[in-house]
Amino acid sequence: MVSVLLIDDDTELSKLLEEYLQSEQFELHAAHDGPGGLEKALANHYAAVILDVMLPGMSGLDVLKQLRQKSAVPVLMLTARGSELDRILGLELGADDYLPKPFNPRELVARLRAILRRTSTAGPAAASQPVHLAGVDLHPDSRSVTCNGKPVSLTGAEFDLLYSFLRNPGKIISREDLTQAALGRPMSPMDRSIDVHVSNLRRKLGPYDGEQERIKAIRGSGYVYLLPGEQA
Amino acid sequence: MRYRSLFLKIFFCFWLAAAAMIGALNLMLWSSFIQDPNPERRRGALGEALNLYAESAVQVYDSEGPQAFEQYVNRSLKEAGTEIELFDGDGKTLTPPTPTEAYSVATEIKQTQQHISHVTSLGRITWGRPVVAPSGRVFIFVTRLRQPYVFRGLPPWGIGLSILAAGVISYLLALYLTSPVKKLKSVVQSFAEGNLEARVAPQLGGRHDELADLGREFDHMAERIAALISSQKRLLADISHELRSPLARLTVALELARKNTTGKGTAALDRIEMESERVNALVGQLLALTRLESGAERVPPETVVLEDVVQQVIDDANYEAKPLHKEVRALELAPCVVRGSSELLRSGIENVIRNAIRYTAEGTAIEVSLTTRLDIAVVTVRDHGPGVPDSELQHIFEPFYRVGEARERSSGGVGLGLSIADRTIKLHGGSIRAENVNGGLLITIEIPLSQLPVAAKPAPEKMPVA
Repeated sequence: MVSVLLIDDDTELSKLLEEYLQSEQFELHAAHDGPGGLEKALANHYAAVILDVMLPGMSGLDVLKQLRQKSAVPVLMLTARGSELDRILGLELGADDYLPKPFNPRELVARLRAILRRTSTAGPAAASQPVHLAGVDLHPDSRSVTCNGKPVSLTGAEFDLLYSFLRNPGKIISREDLTQAALGRPMSPMDRSIDVHVSNLRRKLGPYDGEQERIKAIRGSGYVYLLPGEQA
Repeated sequence: MRYRSLFLKIFFCFWLAAAAMIGALNLMLWSSFIQDPNPERRRGALGEALNLYAESAVQVYDSEGPQAFEQYVNRSLKEAGTEIELFDGDGKTLTPPTPTEAYSVATEIKQTQQHISHVTSLGRITWGRPVVAPSGRVFIFVTRLRQPYVFRGLPPWGIGLSILAAGVISYLLALYLTSPVKKLKSVVQSFAEGNLEARVAPQLGGRHDELADLGREFDHMAERIAALISSQKRLLADISHELRSPLARLTVALELARKNTTGKGTAALDRIEMESERVNALVGQLLALTRLESGAERVPPETVVLEDVVQQVIDDANYEAKPLHKEVRALELAPCVVRGSSELLRSGIENVIRNAIRYTAEGTAIEVSLTTRLDIAVVTVRDHGPGVPDSELQHIFEPFYRVGEARERSSGGVGLGLSIADRTIKLHGGSIRAENVNGGLLITIEIPLSQLPVAAKPAPEKMPVA
């Protein structure tokens, strides 16, 4: 059984989910407010945290912000459908993926598995050679990145995204492939989370010296990681 | 300062009025002066009266003595400021005390034996002449009198100065009247841009006139609008939460039921799932529409690269259309930049294209194009479907309007997509219209282009994300 924490103020939903996830080999623990959830998340080792953005008292985004200061536990956000801002903010604050509420529990399980698969393959077993490319150093062992000698703090999804880019510099990678690589799941219709992750990654790395962007969007195709002086 | 500003209007109107008044007054005075037909004759008439007076006064002195003269003079010339002096033929005063000025005049008359009349700078007339009494005795009569005052208007420099002074006063007046209007304008502007905290009162100072009242009334209004909008937003968030929480529980319960059901039961569960998804979609669209119509949704002044937005919508729509054996094709995507929210524009265009996917015949493609005409971006979406009866074309943007009941139901739409598109585009100052073309429906969206020059290099950071 994999233990997962759910922070959601809807106690009835928590009970139903607990029952459902039980049958999918997840052990669900629940907290019903922000501070309590944060405390639980920091005190125990959960494989993942499912966090509702709409919480009474302390907002889910605040919980995420404080959680990220001390813990790298994978976070799956539950957002209100139509609230794009929550989603973007959440991903920027370091959530690994999001699911608009109401969601299908099958989808929830799929996303959870994707996150867990990704974080487990990132362990030492999957470690490989560090990558050095145009000022960026990426160390798969320690999952650390430096840009021009300065350490860059990336979320799990952003790290995997950069890893895919650095292994294929100058090549156009489709949004579907990037979603698969960074989020460990296939892309769904109207799904823009990959764009948010790319945008965050681009901002964290910054442009090359001559104001040239590192990552360029190719309309209708995907994204490409450019080397200095290279044109898409 | 703008050319037609209230400030300039007040300033110039008041100044012109004051200058015209000064000019007209001066002109009136001046013309009354020059229209006097014969100033020489008037002076002559005064001289004649003085002659007569001098002769009779001398006669009184000569025949009745100084006391009678004194009485005569006092009786006849009571107005202050008229002095009468009498001298004998040798220039010796007969009416002491005598001012030295009168002495010198008398001396001059004695020498020249001429009558003297001159006007001093202060507007006084000194007049004198030798008079021979009927007894043959010679006297010298001198009088100093105040000239009747005639204002002949201001000299040119005086006119210039007063017009300048009028200008300064008009300027201050205009400033006083328009500065609160300007403050009010900046506050209203900031309120309109979404700063619901903007108030006029702190900027009014100690004013208590009508403009200050207007400012206070605006503050009351702003207070009410801010309260309405925030309660509207809260209500929307509450409705969204309250409607969706049961739906979230329903979907989980449904999946639990599915785990324990085999065979016949699953068909009913599929149906429940489909209907709950419909309710969910309806709630989402209804909330989006309410948000657009309530004014709670604001258009941020972002720069939106429209061709990227359209391309992404097409990519996403293809993802949906492919399994239905339909296709969304971009015919032409001209580069253009508009101001607004990429998120709202995306949802607007997406709703139009989704509607087209719903109606286009299987195996056909929806053709999307983005062109520019003058300062307008034009997005057209053409499907190969049944079209819409001409009489109903204007209604299809109304919420829940259904063209052909049965068909819409089976296509799974809830009838809000085009309403959302309509409100979204209008929020961006654009327009949307539908027309039937040969074998399909053509929807044309027009959005004003951004006034800013399009940057030479694309700004990738601005690429819309969601």
